[in-house]
Amino acid sequence: MRIYVTGYGVISSVGENSEENLLALRSEKTGIKQGKKTYTERFKVGEIHWSNDELVQRFNLTQHASRTAILGMIAAKEAFNGHLLDPEIKTGLISGTSVGGMDVSEIAYKDFLSGESDDLNVYKNHPSGTTSEQIAKELGIDGYVNTISTACSSAANSIMLGARMLLSGQLDRAVVGGTDGLSQFTIAGFRSLMIFDEEWCRPFDETRKGINLGEGAGFLVLETEETIKKTGKKPLAILAGWGNASDAYHQTASSPEGYGATLAMKSALSVAGLKPDDIDYINAHGTATPNNDLSESHGIKTVFGSSIPPFSSTKSYTGHTLAASGGIEAVFAILALNKGLLLPNLNFKQAIEETGLVPVKSYSEGNDIKHILSNSFGFGGNNSTIILSKV
Amino acid sequence: MYFIQHIESITHQDSFQKENIWNELKPLAGENELISPDYKNYIPVAALRRLSTILRMGITAAKACQEKVPAEFDAISVGTALGCLTDTEKFLVTINTVSGDVLSPTAFIQSTHNTIAGQISLDLKNHAYNMTHTQNALSFEVALKDGLLCIDEGKHSVLVGAADEAIPFLERLRGSLIETTYPFTSGATFMVLSGEKGNSIASIRACNVSFSDKHTETQVEQFLEANHCSLQDVDLILEAGFDFKSKAKNHISFPEYTGFYQSASAFAVHMANDWLINHVNDSRILIVNNLELNKLGLTLISRNEVEA
Repeated sequence: MRIYVTGYGVISSVGENSEENLLALRSEKTGIKQGKKTYTERFKVGEIHWSNDELVQRFNLTQHASRTAILGMIAAKEAFNGHLLDPEIKTGLISGTSVGGMDVSEIAYKDFLSGESDDLNVYKNHPSGTTSEQIAKELGIDGYVNTISTACSSAANSIMLGARMLLSGQLDRAVVGGTDGLSQFTIAGFRSLMIFDEEWCRPFDETRKGINLGEGAGFLVLETEETIKKTGKKPLAILAGWGNASDAYHQTASSPEGYGATLAMKSALSVAGLKPDDIDYINAHGTATPNNDLSESHGIKTVFGSSIPPFSSTKSYTGHTLAASGGIEAVFAILALNKGLLLPNLNFKQAIEETGLVPVKSYSEGNDIKHILSNSFGFGGNNSTIILSKV
Repeated sequence: MYFIQHIESITHQDSFQKENIWNELKPLAGENELISPDYKNYIPVAALRRLSTILRMGITAAKACQEKVPAEFDAISVGTALGCLTDTEKFLVTINTVSGDVLSPTAFIQSTHNTIAGQISLDLKNHAYNMTHTQNALSFEVALKDGLLCIDEGKHSVLVGAADEAIPFLERLRGSLIETTYPFTSGATFMVLSGEKGNSIASIRACNVSFSDKHTETQVEQFLEANHCSLQDVDLILEAGFDFKSKAKNHISFPEYTGFYQSASAFAVHMANDWLINHVNDSRILIVNNLELNKLGLTLISRNEVEA
């Protein structure tokens, strides 16, 4: 049985809906800038420039919540736009997030630490699970609501779990993806790991130094063939494959040979019933850390051998949006499938000496693209791959 | 059927590596604390020092499970409601009090929810499917449902677990984020599930979760009906609240034994498994997780020989 994508939505620093994101991809325009908040101003980040209150107003949201929940509501609403709730169509929601409502709870906690009175109600927005409940409520979805928290592979894992829930018949339709708002906690966390690049990040470049963080959300609507007969929705892509494996190498670092990455890609190909040769474009995880890009390159070489398809990391546009990245990049993959796009890996100049791999350097349309493989790897060794195919 | 091959819990009860936890279980009263096993038996001392309670509990319970089953796990699914609170708070304090450019990353690295499942895979050198779920009071159930799905998909030895830890700060959130009169406690329960019977006594028949403004008794009846039984066939109800007290042959409100942590329904599975060992005439146990008003988790456990 096939799993179809019948809706998608995205918000990132390059645009507040799919159309704007596509325009930015096409014009090779990054969303990464010097930060505007007190805790981001020292860094280059993919920040969405509206405040939480402004976003709630702008998108007519019914709930004031954390940034993670708000961004999730915006992208999920775009994805679900035009879809109708129907008691006959069991609809679930699975969202990925790494820090949930931290952007608001950290402010209350700071007040608490400094001896000022903290607003206790703010903490209600903190649990990661609550962000998904709020997104579900905004769409009117109840029943099965779940949150995946596997760091930077959260959204990819949500998409994968959604497909499996559909295949098993437990759901007829699923809204799946991920969301993460920037917070001081995350900025300080990655700063403590010393993996920021003070310049624009350069995925797969020999001179890469690290990441630029970003924020955003990306969601898909998945339906089975049976469900489509009832909803009459037009399939926009096929979710053909998925794989999840554990690198089991180190708490934060990836294995040098990309063992977990290799397992995830191979397993996704096997679920999709595709050969490596069938893949026309890889949207890489490509965080631009020295470790990830080398490890992922080795993984790609192991899986694809000497005929490596065009690949790139769009994190040079959006920054690394953590738990949202797999969702945002899944939307980019669908745009690429439907318009034959190859998306450029901005800021690339020089191949990594050890691997010699050269990513896509410029934007092009009208390519023959049938199958796209998208990687998402997270701290804790959580490696996931999804494959999206043309209808 | 999803057979419970082995189950381990570290809680405020004397519940770790017991033949039958009911030999020791009693309702928590007055001052009580986590009964920690000797973690050194499972975690090297050097590593132990930097691990928080939730990580110690999770890794130890998981490793104790792995010791008891022959096969390597081919999937690991973990649920946690609030995750690694100690390290989260520690890092929040650090970023608000330490000036300068050099921050220790350890607390940050260990603050993410997936540290538990990630550390388990790392310690066991396990490369299989690895997932972390978090859905407030249904965190265990959503992880369990993923584990059951893995077995349906053909996996043979699936580790499902849940863990949460209490920190003093939670006390401030009593009445706002968390509505409970029970003491805040910590706990971890991990179990090995398989589609093959092995030496198991009991099996999980089904698990259902529901998020909604309102929940009704009808949902419970429909769940049981879908599993070919009714409330009359249920010998024990393990419930987070007391709604079914008058309708059950036997009724236990499990937070009286676990205290309050949102994934405590995982321990109710342990209580159910061991209850069936002790009560040879009992067949079916229903876990009703209505810890939070807008959520309902239902898990049906039965003796292996029982038809449905």
